[in-house]
This record gives sequence, structure tokens and C-alpha cells, in this order.
Amino acid sequence: MGSDRSRRAAMLIVTAAVLATVFVTGSTPAAAAAAWWSPVALRGVAVTRVAAIGDTITVRTGAGQTLRSADGGRSFATAPAGAAFPPTGAVTIGTVSWGIDSAGRVVHARDAAQQSAPVPDPGSPNLGAGADLIAAPAALPGVVVAVSTSGTVWRRGQDGDWKQALLLLPASLVQGVPHVTSVAAFTTPLSDAIYLGTDGYAVLISTDGGDDWIRAGPGLSDSVYALSADSRRKTVYAGTSDGLWEHVLQELPAPPAYTDAALVWKWLGIGAVTLVASIAALLGMTRLVPRRLGG
Amino acid sequence: MAAEAARARLRRYRTRPWWPAAATLVIAELGLGAALLIPITFSDPNGVDPYLARLSVASVLIALPSLLVRRLEPARPILFALAAVAATYTLLSAGPQILFDLLGSRSGSFDAQVFWSSVAQALGTLLIALAARRTVAPAWRPSLRLAHAGAGGIAAGVIGSVVLIGLGLALPAGVLGRVALQPVALGRDFPFLGPANALQAFSQEVQFRGLLLGALERTMSPRWANAGQAAVFGLAHLAISYGGPEAPFVPITFLVGLAFGWLVRRTNSLWPAVIIHAVADIALQFGIVQGLYGF
Repeated sequence: MGSDRSRRAAMLIVTAAVLATVFVTGSTPAAAAAAWWSPVALRGVAVTRVAAIGDTITVRTGAGQTLRSADGGRSFATAPAGAAFPPTGAVTIGTVSWGIDSAGRVVHARDAAQQSAPVPDPGSPNLGAGADLIAAPAALPGVVVAVSTSGTVWRRGQDGDWKQALLLLPASLVQGVPHVTSVAAFTTPLSDAIYLGTDGYAVLISTDGGDDWIRAGPGLSDSVYALSADSRRKTVYAGTSDGLWEHVLQELPAPPAYTDAALVWKWLGIGAVTLVASIAALLGMTRLVPRRLGG
Repeated sequence: MAAEAARARLRRYRTRPWWPAAATLVIAELGLGAALLIPITFSDPNGVDPYLARLSVASVLIALPSLLVRRLEPARPILFALAAVAATYTLLSAGPQILFDLLGSRSGSFDAQVFWSSVAQALGTLLIALAARRTVAPAWRPSLRLAHAGAGGIAAGVIGSVVLIGLGLALPAGVLGRVALQPVALGRDFPFLGPANALQAFSQEVQFRGLLLGALERTMSPRWANAGQAAVFGLAHLAISYGGPEAPFVPITFLVGLAFGWLVRRTNSLWPAVIIHAVADIALQFGIVQGLYGF
């Protein structure tokens, strides 16, 4: 008798749980986010330099060919003679320009329009002669990220304090440390993000001025040779070992926020499953463990 | 015929000393697994689903009746161990929010909140371990192996830590995400998160290699007891971020659990495993660069 009653109770609970499940499976699914990186063109071709302004994208291939697109990357043709890439080692944000001098020191000029003389930034590190990777997000005034010839990534905080921000680790015991190939940020205040391209770890992003970094290369080849942030199209272009890719500015992935009434049913269903699973486990234990203890 | 033979085998098994512990472990794990995994079909693990909370509720619902049902006495330390794993992990995860709700800005930085949550996890674990020891007969009482820490054990912990870090560096960086060190974040976070990670490692060792292994080896051969706790240790990593990146690591964490269990038995001390586990957790905290989706 008692056994029948408990069986009926268990059946009732299971039925309730199944009904709750049926109710809640129809609730609104989360919308899928856009791909973080998407291919643009030149798949299978190494792209070692890229510069983008609006619909005009100029790239250099691993074979040394300079190509230009005037339609946002839909088609590329050989660039006209004399086509040049913007100079490296310098960035201008509004009226302030930042650069790396020939000795590897970070310099800045307060009024680029007036062509004021660049002065060394106090406390800036010696990046080594030939260092030319520097970026400054317009959304974080005063923040600068620069890369030394040894591959150390430095950041200048908004308070002017320079600190080592990132030290890449070896890819494995035999592969060595990947090179930092590029650094980019939007020169209009669109985003706090600083993008770091590497030949081995794809792209890393910092959204707090270089203090914390995340890996942000899903879909992208591990070998990223060049980056270019184009404020007009709100897009970052990556020249990789597998062609030209783009990342259209978007929020970092985050859990979706649900507001619909289906939440209540979800929680009821979750609660029912929890209860049923616990009771079933207890019943199973009391049935399978002998009354008289062994051992 | 086959069914009759299976029933006869089951009857035979039920007279063995290891049966109560083995049956309890398997059934409780099935119950917790059902409570964790079934709601995936109708909920979003990274959105609204309070999966840690329901796992904790299920583990407590399964463990508490063992105080009332005498035949479950040998299973009690096992059930308490599972409850300690789930409930104190929930305490750790929810701790920062609870502290903020209670104390507002006086709760300190997020790092400080994590540290105090880790203290709460360790204290909660010790309380549950104490309860498990005090409420069962000496025959079922688990040995926590906390009292003994010889020089050999400490040396084993240090050597094991060096080996583990060497292995981490030998593996391809992309597999683990250990692509870089972030000096600014390290200097900012280590004072709180370093000790917090050590406390979390201590808690987990008490739960798995103290309470659970100690309980299982009361009735099982050392090898089976070790395999049992390692299996639960592996499966527990499903729950950390289920549906996410942890599932492929279950076999790895199973092997790590086996090694820790072997070390604890070999040295008759929990401390070597605590040292290696703490070093591993700290290395994971500061040597891994998170991905876009948190992994």
C-alpha cells in the first residue's frame, strides 16, 4: 500500500515536471550575436599591411604586392603607383599627437596642428631603436599603448604613469614567444578598446587602457600581421596569413537579459527538476542501501 | 535468465562492505547530474539559470535526510562531502554580491569580496567536515589528514608544483589560453586573489581528498576509493561552467584528482595536494588570458 502511494506521488511529481518543461521550452530564445571577425577578401593570401579609410582599403600581400579596394573590400585591384601606407610609429588624436622617436622614446606634441615640437613623455620607457607600434584610443584621453622591440607591451595610464601591460608567454617549449605585429585603436571616441595583433595569438583586446586583456580572435587565423581601425566604418581590419578580415564594432559578448514572463516558468521548471532529482536519488539510496550495515 | 542472474549478483553485492558507499556515490551523482543537466533543455546556463544554487539545494536535500535515516549513516560523510562541494562553491560565487548587498561600498573592491567569500568557503567546508566527522560512528569516520605535514610532504608539494607549471608551459599556449602575463592586473589583484585562490584550493582538497576520499576508503580498497573521489572531482568541473569550456577538461581533472589522491595517501597528508592545487589555481588565475566568451 505504502509503496503504491509513494509510486503514485512520484508519478505525480514527474508529470508536473514534464508539464513545466513543455511550458517553458517555448520561451523566447536568445538572439545570436554577430560574428566577432568576418572574412573580407583575399582568403589564402598573406596580408602583411593594411590601411583603411572609409571604403578605401589598401593592403600589402606577403608577396609584396600592394592592392587597393575602393568598395569596402568587395574587390581589390593593383594599387596605383605611389600608393603609400600611413607612417608607422605615430598617432594623432584631435590636437595631440603621440609618436616613437628614432631612439625608441615615446614623444608627444600638445598641438599637432600648430606643429609644436614633440617632447619626450616623462617616465616613458625606452622601447628600443626601431620600435614603431603605438596606439591611443580617443575615448580614453591620455592613454597610450606602445610596444618595445623586445615585444613588451607598455601602457600609459590617464595619470601619465607608464607600466608594463603585457608580457607574451612562449607558445610552447619549442616554439618561442610570438611577435607583436600591430596595435590599433579608434582615433575618434567610438570605443575604449585597444587591439593588439600577434603572430601566434591572433588578436588581444584591452578595454581599460591596457590594464586587463582578453583573447579576441575567434574565427581569425593565429597569425595576424597588421591591424587598422577605421573610425568612419567603425571597423577594425586585420591582415592575416589567411587574407583580410574585419571586426565591426560591437559590445563584448555578455549573457542576454531576459525580461519576459517565461522566466517564471523557467524557474518553476528548474525547481521541479531539482526537487524530483533529489527525491529520486533519496528513494534510490534508501532502496539500494541494505538495512543491516556491512563492514 | 539474465535478469535473474543480475538480481542474484545485485543481492551478492549488497552484502559487500563497499556497497553502501558505492551505491550512495553513484546514485547521489546521478541525482545531482540530473538536477544540473536536465534544465539545460529549457534554460540558459549563462543567463538566468541559477544552476549553482539549484545544485546546492539538491545536494543539501539529498544530504540532510542521511542524519535521520540510520541505514544511510555510512553514506553520510559522502553526502556531506558532495553538499560541501556544491553549497560552498555557491557561497563563493554569490559571496561578492551578498557582501555588496549587505555592506555596499564598505565591502571593498571586488578582489576583496572574492577573498572574503573564499574565507567563507573554507570555513563552511571545515564546518561541514567537522559535522560529518562528529555525527558518524568511528567505523565510518573519514580521516581528513590535516594534522600531519612532514618535510617530505611539503617537498613533494613543492616539486609537484614545479612539475605542474613545467607541464603548463610545455603544452601549446592556445590549449590553455596561457598566452601572456598582465603585470598591471597582477600587481593589482594578487594581494587578494592570491590568498583567495589558495583558500579555494584548500577548501577543495578538504572536500575531495579529505572528506570524500577519507569516507570512501573506510569501506573500499584504496584504488577504488581514489578512483571514486577523482571521478566526482572530474564531474564537479562540469558544474563550474557547464555548457561551456569545462566539459573537455573533465578527463584531465579526473587524472589530476587521481594524482592528488595518490599523493595524499602516499604522504598521509592533505598539505602536499593543497600546495600543488593552490599553485595551479594561482597560475590559472594570473597566467591565463580570458577569451571573449570567458574562456
